[in-house]
Amino acid sequence: MKTRRFQVLLAILLVIVATAVTYFDAFMYKQPIMQVEQVSQISKTKSTDEYKNTDYSIVQKVQGKLLNTKDKGKKITINNTYYQSQLTDEKYKPLEQVFISKSNGSHYIIQSTKRDAVVVFAIGLVIILLFCMKFARGKLLSSVGVNLIIFYIFMQILIKSKNALLVPMTILTAVIIAAVALIIILGPSQDALMAFLSTLIATTVALSLSVLLLKLSNDSSIHFEMTEYDLQPYFGVFISQVIFSVLGVILDETMDISSSLIEMKSEVPDVKVGALFKSGIAIGRELVGPLINILLFIVIAENLNLVMLYLTNGNSVGYTLDMTLSLGVTQLLISAIGIVLTVPVTSYIASRMVARRAS
Amino acid sequence: MLYLLIAFVILLLLVTGTRGLSLLLGLGINVIAVIALLILIADGFNVLITTAIIAVIILVVAIYMNVENSSTANISFKTSLMITFVILLITMPLLYWASTQGMGVEDQEELEGFSLAAGVSFPQLAIATIIINSLGVISETSVAITSGLNEIVLNKPTLTSKEIYGDGFSVGNKILSTQTNTLLFNFFATTFPLFFLMNSIHFNFGDIINDKIFVTEVLTTVICTIGVILTVPITAWLVSRENQKKSAAK
Repeated sequence: MKTRRFQVLLAILLVIVATAVTYFDAFMYKQPIMQVEQVSQISKTKSTDEYKNTDYSIVQKVQGKLLNTKDKGKKITINNTYYQSQLTDEKYKPLEQVFISKSNGSHYIIQSTKRDAVVVFAIGLVIILLFCMKFARGKLLSSVGVNLIIFYIFMQILIKSKNALLVPMTILTAVIIAAVALIIILGPSQDALMAFLSTLIATTVALSLSVLLLKLSNDSSIHFEMTEYDLQPYFGVFISQVIFSVLGVILDETMDISSSLIEMKSEVPDVKVGALFKSGIAIGRELVGPLINILLFIVIAENLNLVMLYLTNGNSVGYTLDMTLSLGVTQLLISAIGIVLTVPVTSYIASRMVARRAS
Repeated sequence: MLYLLIAFVILLLLVTGTRGLSLLLGLGINVIAVIALLILIADGFNVLITTAIIAVIILVVAIYMNVENSSTANISFKTSLMITFVILLITMPLLYWASTQGMGVEDQEELEGFSLAAGVSFPQLAIATIIINSLGVISETSVAITSGLNEIVLNKPTLTSKEIYGDGFSVGNKILSTQTNTLLFNFFATTFPLFFLMNSIHFNFGDIINDKIFVTEVLTTVICTIGVILTVPITAWLVSRENQKKSAAK
């Protein structure tokens, strides 16, 4: 009990130190950084746009001092104009640190906010919480660490190859991270192999079926060019995003179904293959809804800003949803087909492998 | 897309039978609820209040239409409500500090031709985004942990609350790992185009860690993970309280 309290205190201390260090790390940046000290409003003008949206254009006087470069300590005053809605501009607040740059001569403008400390703090918060409770931290943190390293290598290869290897690389990466996740959670056992095979087969079947259906319907109604940040090839980016986002959910599903079947076999050793398969389907049935929900809300949340922009710019609901969500919904449908197909695939594979096992 | 929809519905009905119909109904209600949320916000209703109301509706549908056992459903609904509230409390100061509202420089191209003075509070919308993002994960986690714990308690009604907490963590461990995977892989899905773009406009490490969109994605993933972690003790607490009440009634 004492060591645990000590660990928690140590974790809290470390997080505070790390956050403070990143907050005061201005000297590590080449770009000038200003500490905002005082802010005052100069003017506020009401504006109405062509779609009758009322907004306020506000000019604020931002005063502060330089934290780095050779002019360190110098007092600076900058006028910042922003809309109250803050879509692309920002209202600056005291204690914030901002990157600034010189535009024509000695005149400074604010470029963006320094956000590194909040990232460190937020990640630290998770670590503190993990130390407060009796979770298997080692397993969890190592699995996240390994996955991040794999993703980093994937990104490097993608960048080096100028995106030409996107889809094959995504598939390879997905296979590796699925295997890593299963080995870490279930251990290098037959259970892990069972879940791995089910994941692989269900995802492959779902993706090929979906691509075939998309080709049949001529892709015409889907705005592939709306993929994020205009990254080419559109369809490759689209499919890669589907693979990554559905993978975690399908892994969850296969593990749930197969571990329940293993448990059943250990309780009733002479259970028949047919009965195992049936209960696999019954368990899977309960999982499908919540898992689709997870992805549904993630898809919608991701596009909220864009949807709002379309709606407030006088577009109809139908047109807005078509332009902003059709891509996400298509990805969701493919994922949903994967989630549904995983139930019979996993039940089939797991029931055969479990029944054959001597117990 | 129509073919995909038809294929999904047919497969769903084949696999889940009549259960599929209520699943479809639940999904439909959730989609309509979210569209209503968007329209209300665009019409100028307060973002946070509207989101809170819609979030409650979504949780009711997501939990009560998917869970048959009423004790499990009640406990997971209570847990989800509490977690959503806690997430709101964590998200507000973090986003105030990070000021990641709205869109980043990477989105510039998409914004061409739009009136940017939209009158909607994008800082509040950023909070709403994280809440909505977490709803699916939170409701699934709380249902999974509650049903796992309830089954244990049902078999051994004499468990003390301390033992229930212990069991909660052993059930929670696996769920935490799988949910973290789901969140992490979704983070990969959204950020790989972003990283690619950042590379092509020569961002260095310092630019990336301070970038609005990158920080938004990290915060979303981290806050949802916090929600999942907190679900375990809250569920264990509610289940043990329920258990005590039951044994007191006997």
